[in-house]
Amino acid sequence: MAASLTISGLDAGYGAVRILEDVSLSVREGETVALLGTNGNGKSTLMKCIMGMVKPSAGSIVAEIDGTKFDLVGRSTEAIVDLGIAFVPEGRRLFPRLTVVENLLMGAFRPFARPQIEKNLAFCFEVFPRLAERRGQLAGSMSGGEQQMVALARALMSAPRLLLIDEPSVGLAPLLVSRTIDKIKELKDGAGLSVLMAEQNFTQAIRIADRGYVIVHGKIEFEGGSAAELNNNELIRQFYLGA
Amino acid sequence: MELDLNLLGNALVSGLLLGGFYAAVTVGVSISFGMLDIVNIAHPAFIILGSYIAYIANSTLGMDPILASILGMPAFYLLGMAIYHIYDVSFERRGDNGLRGLAFFFGILFITEVTLVLVFGVDYRLVEASYIGVSIHLGPIDLPLRLLVPFGISLVLMGGLHLYMSRTFIGRAIQAVAQDPLALRLMAADPSKIKRIAFGLSLATASIGGAILIIIQPVEPSIGRDYIGRIFAICVMGGLGSFAGSLVAAMALGIMESITSTFFGPSWSPAVSFGFLLLTLAFRPSGLFGRA
Repeated sequence: MAASLTISGLDAGYGAVRILEDVSLSVREGETVALLGTNGNGKSTLMKCIMGMVKPSAGSIVAEIDGTKFDLVGRSTEAIVDLGIAFVPEGRRLFPRLTVVENLLMGAFRPFARPQIEKNLAFCFEVFPRLAERRGQLAGSMSGGEQQMVALARALMSAPRLLLIDEPSVGLAPLLVSRTIDKIKELKDGAGLSVLMAEQNFTQAIRIADRGYVIVHGKIEFEGGSAAELNNNELIRQFYLGA
Repeated sequence: MELDLNLLGNALVSGLLLGGFYAAVTVGVSISFGMLDIVNIAHPAFIILGSYIAYIANSTLGMDPILASILGMPAFYLLGMAIYHIYDVSFERRGDNGLRGLAFFFGILFITEVTLVLVFGVDYRLVEASYIGVSIHLGPIDLPLRLLVPFGISLVLMGGLHLYMSRTFIGRAIQAVAQDPLALRLMAADPSKIKRIAFGLSLATASIGGAILIIIQPVEPSIGRDYIGRIFAICVMGGLGSFAGSLVAAMALGIMESITSTFFGPSWSPAVSFGFLLLTLAFRPSGLFGRA
């Protein structure tokens, strides 16, 4: 059941542009960790590095899953997912011309997840009853909030141990944002996951996070050991609360 | 003019049977063009290759052409995987798959055709089987087995592929791969591998299509070109990637061609069928069964 992630000294960029500089962070077993920062500070790049979609130029990314350590650097995206690390990307990236249930079944492509399909599908429909009602609808014809539900449920279908979520609130109405954040907590508790969530919406993210990191211009500027510590931090007041 | 009901009935039935044949030769393109966005205009050439393999097995070993085509499927599958691999490395990964990819398949079309001409010459070839030349008579309607057997094989092929695409993990991944290859990676699937399998399957259907073709009519190397237009028309008319749509469109086209050529002469049939394609696209741009 155990899954953790340790990143140390990570540098990454695109061509001559350096995006991440000496980033170190960790997600311990069963934690929800928020990666906080406004647009363009490197949150998505960090997520992509973990998932093997961007190659870091230095540093290490190690995941420990059920007692075995895996160095993620140099592995392909599909191999990383196959280890039990699921990723909900920004913009959700559903298969628009497949139905809701077909999208969810695609999530269970990973051989390890296939025997658990019935159980995981029932869990997804329990958390998102709306998806059960809309199971036959094409994913591309759904609203943004519903699509985010499909994206989260699809990631859960791969029976992951570690879940990465990039900007779950983007493009959603304020009410939906808080509902989506609640659902992430529900999924995490129900499936026994460790979660790393990149988010700009500080107040929402901090509601469910155990700890958090603030990333500014590609560097971790502050590490909060608790939600309260983050709330009272000077840097965060300056960036988010305008004080 | 009095309408001859017998003639109409026979035209309808033979159109329906012809439609079954069209469906079988189109299904490979429904996969490659409809699901993978690969414009494999060489597909008809591979169907002709399938015809010649059935012809060799039939004329030298006396083997049933359908059995020969089933035995030939694994070889076609591997050939398809190899061709996709070359296409992937040379064009798709570089983003050159538009016009250059089309030229690549145009080249394969000619190479296949010319090779067949060099080996077999340009004479028409045909096969022999117990069911060729026999007809079942249902009242005034003739059901030639030469058309009925391919029709049955075609339905089995379409049904089997439909089940594979909708019920298996690889099948669903094939449907998903052109929609978002990156998202497919996040499902722990390698898009190149999925496409290789799909293209292999697409060519494997050409083996069966070829056998069916040579049962229905004698074959010479360039005859495939007669079908390129029809095959892509059926694929688009039915809705890209939809087997059910292709089947319905193939039947509709078969019936229209058969009725037109029975009552107005064969030269009118392409005009009527392509007119129907234009009307379909005007009123339903994503095809009869397309997922918009």
